[in-house]
Amino acid sequence: MTSDTTRDAVAITGVGIVSAAVTGNSAALGAFLAAPAPPPDEALGPGAMAALVEPDEARRLSRVCQMTVAAARLAMRESGVAPAAGLGLVIGTEFGDLASTHAFADGFLARGPAGLSALLFPNTVMNTMVATTAIAVGARDMALTLNAPTVAGELAVARAVAAVASGRVPAVLAGGVDELDTVVERELAYLGLGAERRGEGAAFLVLESSAVARARGATVLGEVSAAAWRALPTRPWGVGRTHRSRAITDALEAAGARTDDVGWVYASASCDEARDRWETRVLAGALGAAAPVSTLGRLLGRHAGLGVLRVAAAAWTARSGLLCAPDGARRVARVRPGRGLVHGLARGGLHVALVVDAA
Amino acid sequence: MKQVVVTGLGAASPYGAGVVAYWKGLTGGACAIRDLTLIETEGFRCRIGAEVPGTLPGSPRRTRADRLAIAAAGEALTDAGLGRRDRETAGLVVGAVGGGMLEAEAWYWRDGRDGTSTASPRTVRAVLPAAHAETVASRFRLGGPRHTVVTACSSGAVALAEAAELIADGVVDVALAGGVDAVTRICYMGFNALKLLDPTPCRPFDRERRGMSIGEGAGFMVLESADRARGRGARVYATLSGHGMTTDAFHVTAPEPAGDGMVRAMREALRRAGAAPQEVQYANAHGTGTPQNDRIEARALARVFGEGGLLVSSSKSMIGHTMAAAGSLEAIATVLALEHGVVPPTANLAIPDPDVPFDCVPVVARRAGLTCAISNSFGFGGQNVTLLFRRGAA
Repeated sequence: MTSDTTRDAVAITGVGIVSAAVTGNSAALGAFLAAPAPPPDEALGPGAMAALVEPDEARRLSRVCQMTVAAARLAMRESGVAPAAGLGLVIGTEFGDLASTHAFADGFLARGPAGLSALLFPNTVMNTMVATTAIAVGARDMALTLNAPTVAGELAVARAVAAVASGRVPAVLAGGVDELDTVVERELAYLGLGAERRGEGAAFLVLESSAVARARGATVLGEVSAAAWRALPTRPWGVGRTHRSRAITDALEAAGARTDDVGWVYASASCDEARDRWETRVLAGALGAAAPVSTLGRLLGRHAGLGVLRVAAAAWTARSGLLCAPDGARRVARVRPGRGLVHGLARGGLHVALVVDAA
Repeated sequence: MKQVVVTGLGAASPYGAGVVAYWKGLTGGACAIRDLTLIETEGFRCRIGAEVPGTLPGSPRRTRADRLAIAAAGEALTDAGLGRRDRETAGLVVGAVGGGMLEAEAWYWRDGRDGTSTASPRTVRAVLPAAHAETVASRFRLGGPRHTVVTACSSGAVALAEAAELIADGVVDVALAGGVDAVTRICYMGFNALKLLDPTPCRPFDRERRGMSIGEGAGFMVLESADRARGRGARVYATLSGHGMTTDAFHVTAPEPAGDGMVRAMREALRRAGAAPQEVQYANAHGTGTPQNDRIEARALARVFGEGGLLVSSSKSMIGHTMAAAGSLEAIATVLALEHGVVPPTANLAIPDPDVPFDCVPVVARRAGLTCAISNSFGFGGQNVTLLFRRGAA
């Protein structure tokens, strides 16, 4: 789906992040990106959520739902958007609330039918984060959970951009979330993907029509001028040979941009070497080798929230002309401020492109 | 906004493979809810469900849910007459919940019991709901936008609504969309834990109803812009004239008691279709058979269409609640009801509930000259979807 250039651009008016490296709004993210440092541990500390959710929520909600609700509230607070005017919700996730699913199954394995928890069961469905967040922020319009490997966060933002651009809904809270899970880590290592740096956290953006945002006096942190998602041919979980990216081509066309307008790129590289090489080839095929590429995956660890965080980071780069070094080192490069691209490519061929501009 | 029409149907249902078997079973009022065989039921109060019988297409190394999806998606694409070139840019939206959980559970159960089992790479790769879309896209070479939606029991209907938006917004001209789920232990045990399962086949809208019956299946549609369908001379089953998607923002499992979210979904579908409530003659209800859900849905229908304002029936009385497939299988039933002028019945409905002020077409299918019908789907988390179809190319 692409947003249409004849329609208003989509503004980012709020950012909310909960992660081991940075927690807060767009200002906290900007401070982190200006002096990036990898967190000592990819996992959120045990007390990290206490200050971010109500005691009642800390008791009722699973850990991943707490992360989600906390990040969503931070974004809503920065944006100041009113849910009553119409608020959609789109959340991308790769694994959902897997910890609750394990706990539910383990209850049965330990005690048989008597060990099953009716309270845990709803959390085994991936839309549990949407359900709890919709209640927490009062989102009553369309609410989607999108499941995808690697690019769930970028996909959630792209889908939300399309919903705002088409006039389907005045504002959308778009986010991504995943938590670290020992079973997943073990099995990914077994698949030979243990080198991939994984992390956890939640990140949200408030997206709304630029005209509406400005009319209500909101601070516009950046604009998503176009978004597109497509699929490259390959087998399930596979790395393909095709380099031609319709997602990038279609997004640039919808934004009315040429390839040399793209001053920099945030890519989804995360140390899955075969996938990372494929993405490099796809980007080179679409843009040439000129644009500097950053990836926060090596710095922060990949999770669905990171895809959303990279869109927020792109808005920061568009404003500041600063770009984190791609290798996770504590360096920041100067780049051309203004237009850039956020790109994600998953094993299996799903890929997403978002054109991001300064406000 | 482009008009969206239905040009292909595919089903793998508890009646077996194919749309013909599905429609014959529904209109015959045949209840396909029987003893479960795919999972262990020892020690549980409810031990029945609706499984898809027979051999499924695709390699046995694929997950059961993937094979259900291949069966229904392949039938829909063939029915629509889409060739390889058509598929290269076709969109794909899949609604899913359990993914390859049935096979992953078998591994996790062994691992949990003896701690030594290792999952096969194939099991790990296929466990996510998104795996079905990858499988279907790879198998049928679908190269357009692809995404997987998880909105609990409304996932299949949301997939159709999402595909309709892709077409209406001009992103693609044609898309394959639908939902799929296989029976899983976690789903079965979870609904048992919630005490929402009837130990006998479910009885939606019956005064004595005691809960739902789980099921499995896959339902896919080919949706297409009306111009494209007309241009290639495609057979048009129906027009997907409108849809509404809303969220209760009320409770993670229980629907909002007044049915406000359901009402907003139905009204949004009417608004998008430019239809008046009195135009709608039939509602294929979500109709799970739980006391609470049926009562609130009936209340919401009455608020939108007036008491007795339309015929209402529940396909779940015959095929159980097929989870992510429910919304798309029931949408197919709605389209076929329009096409054939026959309303499938609500099986097992012996004593109508006085709190349900509608003719719920008990036991026997009914002839009715339908031109406009809706299909309702609701899910955990208050995820409401209404699809509004008109007969033929509107």
